[in-house]
Amino acid sequence: MLCSEFEDRLTDYLDGLLDASTQVAFNGHALRCPVCHDLLSEVKNTLRVCRTATPPAPAPSLDARILMQTAPESVMTCDEFEDYLTDYLDGFLPATLYHRWERHAALCGRCTNLPGEVVRSIGACYTYINEERPVPAALHARILQATLGTTEAENLRAPLGARLTELVRGWLDAIVSPQLATVATMLLVAVLVGTSTLSDDGSIGGMYRASLRFASRTYARGANLPVGRAVMSGDLKGVAGSLGNLLGSPGQNGKQNAQPAQNATNGQKQTEQQKR
Amino acid sequence: MTVNDGAELVRRCRAGDGAAWEEIVSLYSRRIYNLAYRFTSRTDAAEDLTQEVFVRVYRSLEQYDSKQGDLQNWLMRLARNLVIDDYRKRQRAPQDSQGEDLEGHTYHLRAANSSPHVEMERRELGEQVQAGIDKLAPDLRTCVILRDIEELSYQEIVDLLQIPEGTVKSRINRGRIELAKILRRMRVVAMSDV
Repeated sequence: MLCSEFEDRLTDYLDGLLDASTQVAFNGHALRCPVCHDLLSEVKNTLRVCRTATPPAPAPSLDARILMQTAPESVMTCDEFEDYLTDYLDGFLPATLYHRWERHAALCGRCTNLPGEVVRSIGACYTYINEERPVPAALHARILQATLGTTEAENLRAPLGARLTELVRGWLDAIVSPQLATVATMLLVAVLVGTSTLSDDGSIGGMYRASLRFASRTYARGANLPVGRAVMSGDLKGVAGSLGNLLGSPGQNGKQNAQPAQNATNGQKQTEQQKR
Repeated sequence: MTVNDGAELVRRCRAGDGAAWEEIVSLYSRRIYNLAYRFTSRTDAAEDLTQEVFVRVYRSLEQYDSKQGDLQNWLMRLARNLVIDDYRKRQRAPQDSQGEDLEGHTYHLRAANSSPHVEMERRELGEQVQAGIDKLAPDLRTCVILRDIEELSYQEIVDLLQIPEGTVKSRINRGRIELAKILRRMRVVAMSDV
């Protein structure tokens, strides 16, 4: 077999497609010809590498480019990514945006480092909180001079009168609470409503008289007296007597139930006569 | 300090007790000075502003009501309002008198015969952050300082600046990103100065 034929048969040999006699001639040539022998080895190595090697990873932005051209509505732009960054750090992103945001962070070469840098920057600010500068030496004195008119503040003592005033004011602050203002306002409104609706002459006294009349009627209804004839005399003894008759012995319930009304009326008549 | 301690100090101040006022100044001057420095980046401006804040606090002591919160909260609220008002005024004023503090540039300078890495480690992180914050746009700088250094909530920032919450969040977000990029560039510049 010549070298040119050896090269032509190489692929068939590797695929196991040569017939027996050609394969014997092929093997014999490989043994005799060092150039073709090396060629066969190199091709075998190359095939092995091709079969076992992993393909190189595509650039991270490739997915983003594909999505941008095929499903642009699912892709987040870099501007949107930056706009949502604080919401992401605060945990305020809704689920749909959250996944799109994370995908953009993973896929976009320009934005992938930004969240880490911002977090480090915020951390630097927090560190800065604790690195307070000392107050300049003369500043205290300047402040005291501008406010008290002297730098020797301890020499300024509060006069007794002022101290007592502040002490009383402190007590009053505890007593006169803001709630009293609310209560006072409610009372005022109640008086205004009462004098304009209940009272016949618009005065608080009229309101009181109207209240007394309502109470009398209610009392009369409760005591089964004719309306108009019931006068609240304020006679506690009469009322107590009526109540006592009402709550008398069980056997006399029927009789006594009729009596309290009568007694009440009699008591009131007597009182009215006494008044006259 | 408890609410009662603060209220007691204020009562004594109102009565004219100088020692009580001095105690208040001692307790809060460092925090207010640092707040002022973070917005001004200049020690002299921060001192002036701190003094101004305490003068205003002194004149407003009558308005303090312990039932509405403790002294620290009241005082810091007043201080932040004044510092931010001052900052806004200075942004509107001509910039020629407000050169950057020299300390803001020290990160560009290298000591002789020292590697950038050693210098970076030697330099305090706080100076880097201050220099970075100094480079932010004013609106972004205000929000980043209030959120990530003063640790205010979104609502507190809304109440202080009187702007919508969406705007606050947007400025904080943009400010943080810009600050991260600035700090990254600063490290790259320092590392590449060979």
